[in-house]
Amino acid sequence: MKRKMQLALSLMLALVFVFVTACSSSNTEGGKDTTTPETTNATNESATEPITIRLAAGGNNPNWDNMQSDIGKFIKEKTGITIEQEFPVGGNNTEMFALMVASNEYPDLVMPSGSEGKLVDAGALLDLRPLIEEHAPNIKKVYGEYFNRLRWSKDDDAIYTLSLTGVGHTYFDAGGGFQLQHQVLEAAGYPEIKTVKDYEAAIKAYIEKNPKTADGQPNIGLSLNGGEWQILISVTDPAFGATGAPGDGEFFINQDTYEAIMHYQRPEEREYFRWLNHMNDIGLLDPESFVQKYDQYKAKIASGRVLGLIDQQWDYGQAENALKAEGKFGSTYARFPVTLNETYRDHTFLHGTGYLPALGIGITKDAQDPVRLIKFLDYLASDEGQVLLNWGIEGKHYNVVDGKRVIPADLLEQKTNDNNTFTKTTGIGNYNLSARYGDGVKDPSGNYYTTTFPEQIQAAYSEEDKKTLAAYGATTYKDLWPTDGVLPDRKYGAAWTLAFETGSQANVIFQKTQDIMKKRIPQAILAKPEEFDKIYDQFLKDLEDAGVAKLNEELSKMVKARAELWSK
Amino acid sequence: MNPLTESTLKAESTHKRNRFWFKAFQQRYLYMMSLPFVIWIFIFSYVPVWGWLTAFQNYKPKDSILDQKWVGFANFIELFQDERFYIVLRNTLAMSTMGLIVGFTVPVLFALLLNEMKGQFFKRSVQTISYLPHFVSWVVVAGLVYKMLSTDGGAVNQLLMWLNIIDQPIQFMAKGDLFWGIVTVSDIWKEMGWNSIIFLAAMAGIDPELYEASTVDGAGRFRKMWHITLPGIRTTFMVLFILSIGHLISIGFEKQFLLGNPLVTDYSEVLDLYALKYGIQMGRYSYGTAIGIFNSVVSILLVFIANGIYKRVAKESVI
Repeated sequence: MKRKMQLALSLMLALVFVFVTACSSSNTEGGKDTTTPETTNATNESATEPITIRLAAGGNNPNWDNMQSDIGKFIKEKTGITIEQEFPVGGNNTEMFALMVASNEYPDLVMPSGSEGKLVDAGALLDLRPLIEEHAPNIKKVYGEYFNRLRWSKDDDAIYTLSLTGVGHTYFDAGGGFQLQHQVLEAAGYPEIKTVKDYEAAIKAYIEKNPKTADGQPNIGLSLNGGEWQILISVTDPAFGATGAPGDGEFFINQDTYEAIMHYQRPEEREYFRWLNHMNDIGLLDPESFVQKYDQYKAKIASGRVLGLIDQQWDYGQAENALKAEGKFGSTYARFPVTLNETYRDHTFLHGTGYLPALGIGITKDAQDPVRLIKFLDYLASDEGQVLLNWGIEGKHYNVVDGKRVIPADLLEQKTNDNNTFTKTTGIGNYNLSARYGDGVKDPSGNYYTTTFPEQIQAAYSEEDKKTLAAYGATTYKDLWPTDGVLPDRKYGAAWTLAFETGSQANVIFQKTQDIMKKRIPQAILAKPEEFDKIYDQFLKDLEDAGVAKLNEELSKMVKARAELWSK
Repeated sequence: MNPLTESTLKAESTHKRNRFWFKAFQQRYLYMMSLPFVIWIFIFSYVPVWGWLTAFQNYKPKDSILDQKWVGFANFIELFQDERFYIVLRNTLAMSTMGLIVGFTVPVLFALLLNEMKGQFFKRSVQTISYLPHFVSWVVVAGLVYKMLSTDGGAVNQLLMWLNIIDQPIQFMAKGDLFWGIVTVSDIWKEMGWNSIIFLAAMAGIDPELYEASTVDGAGRFRKMWHITLPGIRTTFMVLFILSIGHLISIGFEKQFLLGNPLVTDYSEVLDLYALKYGIQMGRYSYGTAIGIFNSVVSILLVFIANGIYKRVAKESVI
C-alpha cells in the first residue's frame, strides 16, 4: 500500500516537472519568435526594415518604456528601429564599460558617460566625422559653430561621440542650490534666505515648533545624499558653489593662470564643511547622511519629513514627484542660491562655459549597420525629430493654437505632478539620443524646440511654488540667483569635462584622492567641533601624500591645452 | 582505495610500473570515459591561465596579448608598495577568518541539536525554514540589514531603546569597528541553515548500531553526541574546512560592496573590491591580473598548509 502511494506521488511530481519545463520552454520560444525575424531581416538593406539595436546606457532610467510609449511606437513604425536599452547594474557604469572592453564585445550604440576614454583607447568607437559629413546634415546643423568642439583631442580630430547636451541652451530655471520645503518658508514668513545662517535659522525655527510630522514621524532638518557617488553632488560641489567658485568638478581653476588645485585645498571650503559640522553638532543634520543608500534617501524625501536638502533637482526630483502625486505640495522644495556669507555670490549663472560637449552617444565597431544608425540619429536631430522627442505627436500630446504649440491641460497636469507616469506612457524625454537644441532655441515656425521656456516653466510650477516665488518677488527660481556682472565664458569650458587618461598615474592618484575625500569629509563633518580642524588637516595631508600636487600640475596642463584647442 | 590493494601494491613494489600499465590497459574504458572531463577542465581551467601573462605587461585591450609592452614585475612592485593593499588584505583575512570560525561552529551546533530532535515533521520544517534565507540575494539582505540597523526607526535600535540598554540610537552602519561583525552576523543568518544540511546528511549516515551499543554501555545524550556524532562527521567537516581555507582570501565582494559605505571603507574594502576599483574600473587590466595571481598563489599555499597540518595531527590526508 505504502509502496503504491509513493509511486503515485513520485509520478505526480514527475508530471508536474514535465509540465513546468514544457511551459517554460514554450515561453522562451514564444519570446524568441518576436525578436529573431527582425534581427535576421536586418541584414537585407532597406530603409525601414525592422531592426533591433542594442544601446548600453551609462545611467539608469527607471522610466524607460521599452519602445512601448507613444513616441516609441511612432519611431519604431517610422524608422523600423527597435532600441533595446541595457543599464548598468547597481547604479555604477564604470564596470559595465570596463567589462565590455575586457570582453571586446559591444552593443550597437553606447552612451558611455565618463568612460569614453576607455572605449576610445580600446578602439571600440567609430570615428563619426566621415559618417556625419556624408549622411547627417541635420546633426551638423545643430552643432553649428561648435561642431569642432566634438573633436577628441589635439592629436586626434576624430569625433567619437555625439554630445547630447542641448546646443544654445539658456537656463530659465535653476535646478541646484539649497532647498527648503515650502511649509518651512511659510511658517517663518518667507525670510531672506541668502547665507547658510539664514538657511539654518529657518530649519531650526521650524523643527523646534514641529518636531514631528502630521502623521507622527520625526522631522529631519537636513539630509544629504552622501552614501553613494552623489556625495559629490550633495556634499562637496556645494562647497565651491557656496564660496563663489564656478563648477569645475573636483578642481578649482585660477582663471588668469589656469593653475588648478583640488577645490578642497581652498581655505574657504574648510569653513563650509565646518558649517556642516556645526549642523551635525546641533542635531539638524540627518546622522544617516553618509550611510544611507540612494533609495533610502529618496524614501525619506518622499515621506515629506526632510525639511532641507542641498542637492540638484534631477537628483531629488523623482522623490519630489512622489510628493506631488500624493498632493503634499507643502513638502516640496523651493531652491535658493545660498552662500557661506554675504561676501560670496553663487557663480552658477555668472561664469558660463560655452557649449560643453558631454554625455555623448557613440557607435561601436560591432554595430550592424553604422550608416543606418547615423541616419537614424540624424532623423532624431532633424526639426521634425526634435519636435517629436520634446513635444510628442501633434494632436495627441500637443496642439497648435494660433501657430503656437500648446500642451493640453490634462497632460500638463500629469507632466508636472506625475512625471514618472507621463514619461513612461508618452516617451517624452526617453529618446534624447542625438544632437539637439537646448532650451530657448526656436524652430522655423517660431516655437521653442523644447518644452522648457519661461511661460512653460511658470505654468508648470505648483501653487506652492508660485506662492513662495511671489513672496520673494520672483517669477522663477532663477530670478533669485545673481545675474548681474556676467563674466565671459571660460575658454576651456569646464574642468569636469576633462578626464585623465585611463590607467595613467594621474588617473590612479585621482582615484586615491576621491577615496580619501569620501572617507575624510564625512568624518570631519560628523566629528565633534573641536576635532574638526584636526581631521581636516589630516585630510589635506592625506591628499598631499597621495600626490595631489602632481595631479594639479597635470590638470593645469590639460586645461591650458583645451583652452588653446578650443580658441582656434 | 581500500587497504587490501594498498598492501598488495607495497608488496610488489618492484613490479609497480608494469602493474600500472597492465592495470591501465585493463581499465582502458574507464580512462576513456574520464577523458572528456579532463579535456574539459584543461580547456576551461588551465588554458585561460596563460592570460596571467598580462600581469607582466602594460596591457591595452586594443592590441593582441603578444604585442604588449612588457614591464616585468612592475605591477607586483606597485601592488606591494601600496599601503591600501595591506589594509584591504587585513580586512579580507579578518572577515574571512571570522566567517570561517563562526561559519563552521554555528551550523555544526545547529545540525547537532536538530539531529537530536525526535519529531520528523518538526525537524524537517525547521530545517527547511532555516535554509530559505540562502536563496535571498545579497542585495535584498543588505537592504534588510540597513533597514534593521537604521537609526531612523530601525528595529534593532528600537528594541535596544525599549529595553533601556541605550538612550540614543546607535549608528551601526557608520562604525568601522562594527562592520566586520555585521558582515559575519548577516552571513551566518543567511547561510547557517544551508551549511548545516551537509552535516545533517553526514550525521544521518552514522551507523545506528553505534548509538545502540553506547546506550547499552550507559552513555547519555551528551556522551553520544561527543563520542559518536561528532567523530562521525569529522571527515566531512575536515574536507569542507580545508576547502574553505583555500577560499580564505577570495571571499568575493558582494557583502562588503553592498553593506559598505564611505564612512567604513577602511574596514569594508576587500581584495576583490580593490582589484575592481584600481584594476578593472580604471582599465588597468594588468594590475588587476597581478592581484588575481597573488590571490591564487596564496589560496593554493593555504590549502596545502592546512592539509599538511591536518595530516600531521590526524594521520590522514584530505587532498
